[in-house]
Amino acid sequence: MKSMNRPEIRGRQPDPGPAEGEKQDLAFLLAQVARGDHQAFEVVYGQLAGPVYGVVRQVLRDPAQSEEVAQEVLLEVWRTASRFDSTRGSAAAWALTIAHRRAVDRVRSENAGSRREQKAAAEIVTECDDIADVVEASLEGQRVRRCMDGLTDLQRESIQLAYYGGYSYPEVAQLLGVALGTVKTRIRDGLIRMRDCMGVNS
Amino acid sequence: MMVHDDMHVLTGSYVLDALSDAEREDFERHLHHCPSCQAEVRGLRETAARLAMAKTAWPPAQMEERVLAATYRTRQVPPLARDRFRRDGRRSRVARLFTDRLAAERPRRDPSADPRHEHRQGNGRGNSWVRSPRLLTAFAAASVAIAVGLGITQVATQHQLDSVKASNAAITKVLDAPDARIETTHATVGGAVTVVASALQQEAVVTTKGMPSLSASRVYQVWVMSSSGARSVGLLSVPDQTGQLLASGVRAGDRIGITVEPAGGTSRPTTAPIVTVPVTA
Repeated sequence: MKSMNRPEIRGRQPDPGPAEGEKQDLAFLLAQVARGDHQAFEVVYGQLAGPVYGVVRQVLRDPAQSEEVAQEVLLEVWRTASRFDSTRGSAAAWALTIAHRRAVDRVRSENAGSRREQKAAAEIVTECDDIADVVEASLEGQRVRRCMDGLTDLQRESIQLAYYGGYSYPEVAQLLGVALGTVKTRIRDGLIRMRDCMGVNS
Repeated sequence: MMVHDDMHVLTGSYVLDALSDAEREDFERHLHHCPSCQAEVRGLRETAARLAMAKTAWPPAQMEERVLAATYRTRQVPPLARDRFRRDGRRSRVARLFTDRLAAERPRRDPSADPRHEHRQGNGRGNSWVRSPRLLTAFAAASVAIAVGLGITQVATQHQLDSVKASNAAITKVLDAPDARIETTHATVGGAVTVVASALQQEAVVTTKGMPSLSASRVYQVWVMSSSGARSVGLLSVPDQTGQLLASGVRAGDRIGITVEPAGGTSRPTTAPIVTVPVTA
């Protein structure tokens, strides 16, 4: 039986860890978090809070609500750190999957209808596309923007509405006035193109 | 149910959380058996993560304090077994849950009572699935736990343990099933029934504990109940009413039911069930 008060394991230093030196590897840190290491979690928080809060706010828009959901997500990272499996993907992708999913759940559980019906598709696309934060200047932001530019309009708009807007693909189809099958295909093709453009290795 | 090609095109919508709950569940079922989809999902998920990182925005500073404080009040979940050990881990998790529930109400010890029905013994299922020493150890531990749970004395001879292992091979196979589900329901007369079912293997392990003793002319009879009627699984005519049966041909949506019947059992239930437990998929 594991008890609430696990023995402190900090004293038992694991192997040196990632060879990359200074910047601590998230996957390595998560393994420590899984063992109840609060200090490791602080570092994890430092690395993940920005992207988590950013994507949640992108979907939810409302800052107070975004803060609440981001907080839940980061606590979920603490709670379920042991479930992270580095053979299945990066630690950041794992955490951001939780974050996006939570944000979308929140959107769908609420009566989001008003927000959706009042606005024209073009307006929503613009809204989803606005990268208002400092990161616009960051390398990652620039690269995403550049790769986005390489997509067809339909691919780009479908991805933006789905991911940044939190819309389901039938909603995306309706907003863009195209067939369901078209949206499914464009989302997949567009993401594959993004993946290749950004040099993501899976 | 969608055909494979339709499913495969959903990888993108899946990683963007753009599927409905029902579609997502369908897709995840498909994903389980589709290595190429798994590989694609992995890559697209990393891609989506970049889209998120491109939106990095710093939350209010007080959030950090709140989250860090909350970690001290939040219990962490234990690890799941890694993929390559899934069978092992899955089994031991269900087995642990299973033995926990058995232990919750300690049965009386009565070595003369052998609650196990013997129709499954030596049925050729064997231990062929037991390949690694790790599994063997887990298997032996589970068998002992089950034996203890069933009221067999801990000082059982090796021979007795071996026989428990043999007869529990089929049971362990159900516990080991990747889709094993555990369900416990209390009987109206007292005691409880635990069902561990695997839709994949179409088998369920039915374990009762703490049920009141019946007069010599009555027995507990276990049934698999479906829309097409009830089929007898066997009798639980043991003194301490702690018994275990393996039910075959069980499908998701069936129910395991127990009725009180005349000694020797009947071909169909003649009384209202004292308990029914749904078989979930």
